[in-house]
Order: sequence, then C-alpha cells, then structure tokens
Amino acid sequence: MRPRDALPDPDVQHDLRELEAALGGEPTADPDLAGLVADVEAARPAPDAAFLASLDARVRAGFPTERATPPREPEPWHVRIRRPRILLPAAGLALAAGLAAVVVALPGSTRDLGSSSSTLSAELGGGKDSAGAAGGSSSSSSSASSRPKTTAPSAQPALATGSPSPAGGPSTTPALPTIPPSTTATDRKVQRAAELTLTPQADDVQDVTDGVVRETQAAGGYVQRSEIATEDGGGTASLTLRVPTARLDAVLGRLSQLAHVGALTQASTDITATTVSAADRLADARDERRALLRALGRATSDRQIASLKARLRDNRSQIAARKGALDAVRRRADLATVGVSVQGTDRPSGDKGGGAWTPRDALHDAGRVLEVAGGVALIALAVLAPLAVVAALAWLAARGLRRRRRETALDRTA
Amino acid sequence: MELSTSEPTTARFDALYRETASDVFAYVLTLLRDRAAAEDVTAAAFERAYRRQRSFDAGRGTQRAWIFGIARNAALDELRRRRRTATLLADPEDASAAGRGDHDDDALRRAAVRVALAHLDPRERELIALKFHAGLSNAEIAKVLGVSESNAGTRVHRAVTRLRKACHAPS
Repeated sequence: MRPRDALPDPDVQHDLRELEAALGGEPTADPDLAGLVADVEAARPAPDAAFLASLDARVRAGFPTERATPPREPEPWHVRIRRPRILLPAAGLALAAGLAAVVVALPGSTRDLGSSSSTLSAELGGGKDSAGAAGGSSSSSSSASSRPKTTAPSAQPALATGSPSPAGGPSTTPALPTIPPSTTATDRKVQRAAELTLTPQADDVQDVTDGVVRETQAAGGYVQRSEIATEDGGGTASLTLRVPTARLDAVLGRLSQLAHVGALTQASTDITATTVSAADRLADARDERRALLRALGRATSDRQIASLKARLRDNRSQIAARKGALDAVRRRADLATVGVSVQGTDRPSGDKGGGAWTPRDALHDAGRVLEVAGGVALIALAVLAPLAVVAALAWLAARGLRRRRRETALDRTA
Repeated sequence: MELSTSEPTTARFDALYRETASDVFAYVLTLLRDRAAAEDVTAAAFERAYRRQRSFDAGRGTQRAWIFGIARNAALDELRRRRRTATLLADPEDASAAGRGDHDDDALRRAAVRVALAHLDPRERELIALKFHAGLSNAEIAKVLGVSESNAGTRVHRAVTRLRKACHAPS
C-alpha cells in the first residue's frame, strides 16, 4: 500500500510533466493533451463585463461600508450570552477578581501585612442568671499576639496607659482579651485567673521579671511564687501573682507593656454558690452555739452541764473551721491568680513589634505584597489555564467541523 | 447612501485582483454552477481578502493560493447555505457558450468537453478548474485544498485522466 504522502508513481509523474508542458504551450507537448487544454480553456466561463466593472469600482473604493446603517438596537441578554468571545474574558476576569478577594480575605494571607489587632471579650453568662444553685460557671478567653505594634491604641484604652518597659521600651499595646466584671449584682463572687507569656529578648529576661514584680506590688498584690532561671544570653522566669481582682485588667495591661506578649489566657469562675454555702454553714454553726448556750443556762445537773460544755467546745472548733473556709472562698474572689511566664527569645530587634516603620519593614511588606500577588496570579492561572485549553479545543473542533461541512457541501453537489 | 472607505487599496492587492479576478470567477462558477451566485461569491471573496490582507503569510504559500483558498471557502459556504434554503434542480446553461459555431469540428469537440466536464465528479471538476482555468501549480492546489503536494498531483492526474476518457467516450 502506498503511503499517503509518497510521490506519485513514475507514470503519473510523467503524465503530470506532459500536462505542465501542454499548459505551458510548449511545442514538444503531447498534441492530444494540448488540444484538451485548448478545449477546456475555451470552455472557461468568463465574467460579465458589467460585473467586472462593478467589482473594479468596489476594489478601487476599498470595499466601502455603508455608514447610513441605522444604529443597532441593544441586543437582548439571551443573544449576548451566545457570544462567548465577549463573555469569556469578562467571566474570567470576574472569577479572578473573586478569587483574589477570597485570597486577600483569608486570615492567613495577610497576617503580616496589616493590623491584626483583636480584642476578645467574653461575657460571663453564668454570672448573670445561671450560676445560682449550680455552683457557678466559668469562662475563658485567650489571644496570641503576633504583631502587637499594630494594635490601635484606642482598642484598649484602659490598658494603653502603662509605664514604659525597663527593657527599652516596647511601646506596644497588645490585643488583650478582656473579661468584663462577672455580674451586675455586687454580691456575686467571681474567681478570676490569667496566664500571661512574655517573650522579651534573651538579654531582657531579668529586667522584665523585675518589672513584673514591681507592677504587681504597685497594684496591691504580691508574688506567691517565683522561679527564675538565668543563663548566658538568655533565661526563663515563671511567677505566680495574686493581685486584687478589681485591678486585674489594669495589671495585665501594664505587664503586657513590659515585653512582647506571646500568649494571654484569662478564665473566670462564678463561686457565688460556694461562698453562700460556706456562709450558711457558718451561720448554722453559730445558731447551734446560741442554742447550746441557751440549753446550758437551763441545765440543772452536772452531767447535762458537762455534756453541753463538750458540745460547745466542738462547736467552737466547727465555727472556726467554717469561718476559715468562708474567708478562703472570699479570698479566691478578691484576689486573682496570674501566672506569668517570661521566655527570652533571640528574635531580631526589628521584630520586637515596636519602633517606627523602617525601610526594612517596607521591604518586608513589599515582599509580602508581591508574594500575595503572585499567589493570586497563580490561582487565576490555575483557573484560566483549563478554560483556555477547553476554549482552544473547542475552537479546533469547530474549525474541523466547519471544514468537514464545507467538504460535504461540495460532495452533495454531485 | 453615504459611503465611507475603511482603508486605501494597496498596490499589491490591486495587482492580485487584476491578475486573478477572471480566474477566481471561473473557479467559483465551476463550483457553484450558478452565474449570479458566482458573481456574489467572487465579490465576497475579494472583499474578504481585502479586509484580511495583513493575515497573508508569504511563508505559507503564494498570493494566488491564498485568494483561491478564500474563494473556495466562500463558495463552499454558499453551497451549504443554498442546501439549507433550496436545491438547485438544474444547471443553467452557460449563455456565453451558445452560438459559437455549432457545426464545425472544434465547436463539437468543445461541446463534448463541456459535457464531459459537467459529468465529472465535483471534486474532479474543481481540480480541472484550478489547474486549467486558474493555472495553479500542484503546490498551490495543495495549499488551496489543504492536502499534500503529491496528493494534489495524484488527484490532478486522476481528474485529467477521467476528463480525457469522458471526452473520448461515445456520446
């Protein structure tokens, strides 16, 4: 079988050469073939002179278009939608814009670009209505601040008025989760606690720890436990503070200004029921003492008197114990427990979170902008590339189909 | 009606038009076998070529092959359109062929050629038109038809052979 694009066999090539000679009017051409050429040429249809003249005029005029065509009516939507050439780029742009908006809106995508202040607040639901007989309720909130320098001062007005840090000054106000006073009623008792992690530079651990102690004492609190481990070029400190609950938020604000806040967690527990229970038990014991004293006044025999005195001794011990328990519960409400962890880090000074916006920051931000823009472009490409491939395949298919239909049209004229 | 010229006629296009107008018309009429439609299609093909002058790529073939390719597409589109609207029941007589000495031998022979052409397959008739009327080389015909040059040569040879047989066949 002859390959599709192989040269014609020698006979065909010879005949084709003969044909070319006859068409060229060469004297050596086959007379029979030359006659055929002449006869076919004689049968050649010629255009009308009028048609040629008209076409000449149009060619000379450059195939003018009619300007008097009335302006087109606006096409209905179902006609416009049949024009993918118009709609496809628009749809692609809209899709890319939507993706860009989604990417920019993603929390992780812009975490280093702009302000990331967050103020969390948690209301103590149990402190209002539901604590009652159930023995109290608790709530907690936490935050991990990555760039506290961007926190708007107005976001935490109560916490922004702190003394400058002994370490030189992170003049930052991190976003602190705040827990509002637990109840509107003044007789409710709430136990509050907080865990604060400060991450100063390694050399500043001791200074920051001293600042923590100083701020605690200034607020009327005390250091319940402290553990400081310093080493060459760094160290850690762990402190447990007891501060008046009423001043907890202010103390946290001041402590947060000592260094970069790595994490902050607050919790509160409604202990009203526990307090009331302890008070009731103390009142019961006192009522019992009064009853015993009345019984002692009415006693007539030595045996009764001795028995009542013994019971009064027991009652006295009971009252003392219950009074101690009540005081302990009240102390839990009056003094909040704050756990402070100071961890020295080797972060570069430019990333402390404070200071002015430097060219280095600008370079960093510009890099991030380019990074995000590149990501958006990549996503857009990932979306548009398959569409482009599909469009190209559709175009090729349409082209092939049109060509096939044209060839079919010629065959059907037979 | 006010007319406006979109752009001036280029010298190259004008030369191409002068050189090929009659050939293109003959080729289109061979395909359509309808003089009026052939005139419309020929005009449309040249207008299309005029508007697409910048799309011509000399590396992909000659200007003649390019204009005949455009004319072929326009003619086939016209055939498709006519098939959707009406069927051509009979070929109209070529008025220009009438009254050319019906009694001499040449006239008889040429009449036999016209009959033979009419009985050829449309694709063979197209090849005869491209080869004899338009004077295209096999390479140019290959470009017009979208086939290889050797394939075009083979087809031309086959069409000429069929035509010669048809001319010598007893009527």
